Amino acid sequence: MMKIRNLIAITGIALMASITGAQANDPAKLNDLQIAHVAYTADNIDIRYAHLALAISTNPKIHEFARTMIRDHTAVNEQALALLKKLKANPQDNILSKQLTANSHKLVDKMSKLRGKAFDRFYAKNELGYHKAVNNLVANAFIPNIENAEVKSLFKAGLKIFKVHEHHAAMMVKGLK
Amino acid sequence: MRRITIPRREVVGWAVAAFAAAVIPFTIPVVAKMTPPSTNHIVEIQNFVFSPATLKVKVGDRITWINKDIVPHTATAHDKSWDTGNLKPNDRGTVTVTKDMFAGYFCRFHPSMKAKIDVQ
Ligand SMILES: [Cu+2]
Repeated sequence: MMKIRNLIAITGIALMASITGAQANDPAKLNDLQIAHVAYTADNIDIRYAHLALAISTNPKIHEFARTMIRDHTAVNEQALALLKKLKANPQDNILSKQLTANSHKLVDKMSKLRGKAFDRFYAKNELGYHKAVNNLVANAFIPNIENAEVKSLFKAGLKIFKVHEHHAAMMVKGLK
Repeated sequence: MRRITIPRREVVGWAVAAFAAAVIPFTIPVVAKMTPPSTNHIVEIQNFVFSPATLKVKVGDRITWINKDIVPHTATAHDKSWDTGNLKPNDRGTVTVTKDMFAGYFCRFHPSMKAKIDVQ
């Protein structure tokens, strides 16, 4: 129970839960361009965490993982931007993107103060929780509601990639015990 | 003005090439009998999976990995003895099969991606 509560505190799953439901800012009610903005924001947040990990951690496994996060999330973002350009559309900022960003600032502040194993454990756990939460959002709130077929197929490809990251993060958490 | 000279090594090289050109037509049938022709194999990387997961090859064959995903991958021996290097989307990387080539390989970027080659 404690573990689950920690995970919620770390990752902001609570945030996701609190905005799910029949509210104006229900993630399932976002339009395609807002969904694209959330995904782009979520990608950039993970890239930010990875740069922090490269700066603070001395663990080669953490470095490998962080470099993969930068490489993959950058690739997905490039695809997303190329698709939006082709569709002549711009991503739209929204409440969920803003909440994700605000939450990530708090986490970056917190992580910046950690060193050694304490940092590695926190980063690994957060990556696991973050990918779980975002994957949940993408699978259950976004993919069923995206209208544009090309955007939908990019999100499906993204989800496959982020599930691999989730599994990779789980292995990393195990290895740090 | 500098004189243009043909380096001695190059002259020797031409002589060898001329000799080889004269001799090779007679030796090819013999060589062909001794070593079966090498094959080019393709391994596709798609949806974070190498396929085929096990590839049967023989010494001298070439294996080409093609990345059909939107993120980079690698094909890297578990003991790191061979490596395609970073394969960006749609990139290809080729490795020639050697006798004691390490069979098991993975993706350095996504360690859960694993496959093997079976050198016959
Ligand atoms: Cu990979």
